[in-house]
Amino acid sequence: MTVRRGGLALALALVATAAVAALFAGRAAPDGANAASHREAPLISLDPAADISDFFMFRSYESGKADRVVFIMNVNPGEEPSSGPNYYAFDPLVTYSIGIDNDRDGSADDVRFDVRFQNEIRGFTNDLGLPLRYIGGGPLPVVDDVDDPGNGLRQAYEVSMNGTKLHEGSLPVLPDNVGPRTTPDYEANFLSEGIKTLPSGIRVFAGPRDDPFYIDLGAAFDTLNLNPFVVGSGIDMLAGNNVHTIAIEVPMAMISHGSSVIGAYGYTSRPRVTVREAGGVKAQSAATVQVQRLANPLINELVIATKDKDRWNGLEPQQESQFLQYYLKPRFALAEQLVFGVPTGCLVPLDGCTPNPPAATGLDLANFNRTDLQALLLRYNSIVYGSGPGGIDSDLLRLNLATPPTPLDQQSSVPGALGGDPAAWPNGRRPKDDVTDIAAKAVGGPNYLSLPTVDGVEANDKPYPATFPFLAAPHDGVTRVHENR
Amino acid sequence: MFKTSTKALVETASAVTADITDSVRRDGRRADESPAGGGRESVKRRTATLVRVAGMVATAIALGSLFGGVLTESRTAGASAAAAPRLDLETALSGFGRGGGTAETVAKLQAELRSAPSDPDRLASLGLAYQIRWRETGDAGFLPRSERALRRALAERPNDATATLGLGNLALTRHDFRHALALGRRAHRLMPYNDRPYGVMGDALLELGRYEEAFRAFDRMNALEPTVASYARVAYGRELLGDLPGAVAAMRLAVRAAAGAREPTAWALVELGELELQRGRPTVAKRAFRTALVLMPGYVSAEEQLARIDVAQGRLRAAIERIRRASEAVPLPQLVTLYADVLARAGRTEEARAQAGTARAIDRLLASGGIDTDLESVVFDADHRRDVDTLVARARAARAARPSIHGDDALAWALARTGRCGEARSWSERSLRLGTRDPILAFHRAYVEHCLGNAGAARAWARRAVATNPGFSVRWAALARRLAA
Repeated sequence: MTVRRGGLALALALVATAAVAALFAGRAAPDGANAASHREAPLISLDPAADISDFFMFRSYESGKADRVVFIMNVNPGEEPSSGPNYYAFDPLVTYSIGIDNDRDGSADDVRFDVRFQNEIRGFTNDLGLPLRYIGGGPLPVVDDVDDPGNGLRQAYEVSMNGTKLHEGSLPVLPDNVGPRTTPDYEANFLSEGIKTLPSGIRVFAGPRDDPFYIDLGAAFDTLNLNPFVVGSGIDMLAGNNVHTIAIEVPMAMISHGSSVIGAYGYTSRPRVTVREAGGVKAQSAATVQVQRLANPLINELVIATKDKDRWNGLEPQQESQFLQYYLKPRFALAEQLVFGVPTGCLVPLDGCTPNPPAATGLDLANFNRTDLQALLLRYNSIVYGSGPGGIDSDLLRLNLATPPTPLDQQSSVPGALGGDPAAWPNGRRPKDDVTDIAAKAVGGPNYLSLPTVDGVEANDKPYPATFPFLAAPHDGVTRVHENR
Repeated sequence: MFKTSTKALVETASAVTADITDSVRRDGRRADESPAGGGRESVKRRTATLVRVAGMVATAIALGSLFGGVLTESRTAGASAAAAPRLDLETALSGFGRGGGTAETVAKLQAELRSAPSDPDRLASLGLAYQIRWRETGDAGFLPRSERALRRALAERPNDATATLGLGNLALTRHDFRHALALGRRAHRLMPYNDRPYGVMGDALLELGRYEEAFRAFDRMNALEPTVASYARVAYGRELLGDLPGAVAAMRLAVRAAAGAREPTAWALVELGELELQRGRPTVAKRAFRTALVLMPGYVSAEEQLARIDVAQGRLRAAIERIRRASEAVPLPQLVTLYADVLARAGRTEEARAQAGTARAIDRLLASGGIDTDLESVVFDADHRRDVDTLVARARAARAARPSIHGDDALAWALARTGRCGEARSWSERSLRLGTRDPILAFHRAYVEHCLGNAGAARAWARRAVATNPGFSVRWAALARRLAA
């Protein structure tokens, strides 16, 4: 989960980031009488289409599909469904990728999926010159199919595996859920059109979905102004928001290379350019620059200190050892101790892990050596994945392929490592996993395990489906409900 | 081709917008019903949403006339479905209107600082926000305010990277390039993995004539973060080297990377349009400028460029009206200077003189905000043959502070206009050393050659000046055409 979606800290960070980025886009202005002037760029350097809000990986819990692994990458966090008339989209200049490690060396370079998008302006938008993206209802037909003339900016996508395209032509991206007049019966009309089965048996989906994450952001960032003892005391501040989802379902055998454990991460990239580019005009060079990556939720928000976030963002998962101190001495543990007044300690009594048992340490991280968190988050540890090489410190989401999937109605957010559902994060990650609670409990340690909830929010605003793509239909712009206190 | 009555079209447009406004109405109704805590905030949000929606709908309808014929043109131009749609269309359709107003951000930060007056994060953010306000309004009074906020932030936290970066950008704005470079370097040491200090350093290096170092900084910047800021700088580097197609390609990436946020996208579109004008494609350029105006109605830079095209295409009265409106909103000196030139062209010499006076007054105002406009003033005075006794001395001093190709050119022009064409020639040669295809540089060279009696060279350079953009200068285009004959 990337918490780029609300709350005080985020708002502040946004202002600073936006303003800073804004100012440094171009040259100073104005330039007086000089006609050859280039003005200061007034910009906000948020890149929502490349902003990965969540990355999921799990064995399919759809009936009859337990031999498949599902990868989900969500971008455009916190989409307000009523954001017409242009809504949200994937960006044709962003490459959306998933890297997979199947030899336990911590480098997710064994299998790679790349997804790229194209735009097409068509239908009524093109013919009538009416610059609205979706035109339907009234005297014109509703939009209930991606090929309808009312779908004016139609996106299509291509999926490759290790550089090879997996299908002919291109696949359709589902349009936005505008409202009952333009796109009535959205899910009934569109869901089946959006799920495509490729010749290899791989299934894919791209389009808007309900944002599956749930957290009381305001309270969480109001210096942990949470009521951890009362379920339902928090408000899901992401209720009523959408995301754009890429989902890929792959037969396990196709990516595991015989390994019982795989690691993966999602990342986005844009073309890289230089001032002197060899070979003349290149609108899009082959070289790319990573915009973002995401594997384990919450790392960038709660683990990595501000001064190192830039560096973290530019690196690959297998370069995580330079940030090891943040895992061994987690600041979040201190925060929990300060706020809740309860000592934290090692979740699992690994050799050398301290504090074990939990001990009050005041404001001092000196006695922290949370090798258990290092094992759980950065290694193919024996706790979750059985024996075998641990690999190097690498921020990957890891999945034990031998763990059978838990049916949706039995999924619990108490992970197997804590005596609960063995298929919960950090063993892969499913949409329903309450990673906020899990993280708080894992970092907090034994004293925090019995809390029913940490942020008081237990469930998403919409129920999750038990079938691919495992995320609920997007809210429409008219009837969506945001929750207030 | 769909034939639909106007009535049906209007009905359809209202049907779509009804979906949008329905959602806003519901939002408002719930806000009224919610408990006291959410009321005021929700009403504000509802109003803001209403305004935003109304604005979007209005601009969408306004776009109709812009795109009506042009969209059809693109369809019948034989473009296949696989061809990429026009960037301006895609931009207009893919999501705009995001990003709030900076004035609100400033007010919010000021309010927060009242209760936490020494908060360095908020102070730094406020300092940056003031600089954005300056760019939006042309009011140089924001600059000292920015400096105060940033220095207060540094007083609280001497190694605050953001505040240092902000001061660096302020120095750029004030054309104090040596300080800008030093501050940029300091910011880089404080945030070594952040891309933005490279932008400040690179911009300063350009103005100091250190082009190769600047280009390396821009390359590094894009390698770290593929943002509108870094793409735009690579584009400028390519433009300086005379690679216009490459500059356009990079600027198109910049437009995309601005991700639909209003101001950044509008800015990048204007830059793109200027490049297209230089390439002799005024129709493409005009569409880019108009799209920028859709994103930001009244955007001064876009109005300025459209006015230049008006003049070049003989529509003097329209140009005058456009500039008058724009300069009343934001009296940028280059706009007022343009106003003077266009009025002079229209034979309204008294008004032209008045506007020239206004331009000088604005330059003085900028100077009071700390902006060094010596180079620009020199060019202006050379154009108008003002203060000729001190012109060359001032030009040398200005060039010493800013030894770029534009410094070389300003000195060349000052020398040429005061009859010292021999010396002017070597400076003019220097100004062209990168291969920049700037018509102003070429025209100044033509003037110098003509002054030296080299008719052939004068004709050749004048032809280069008018080759792709014959309206390159309101004041000098006619002379350039005569020299080119």
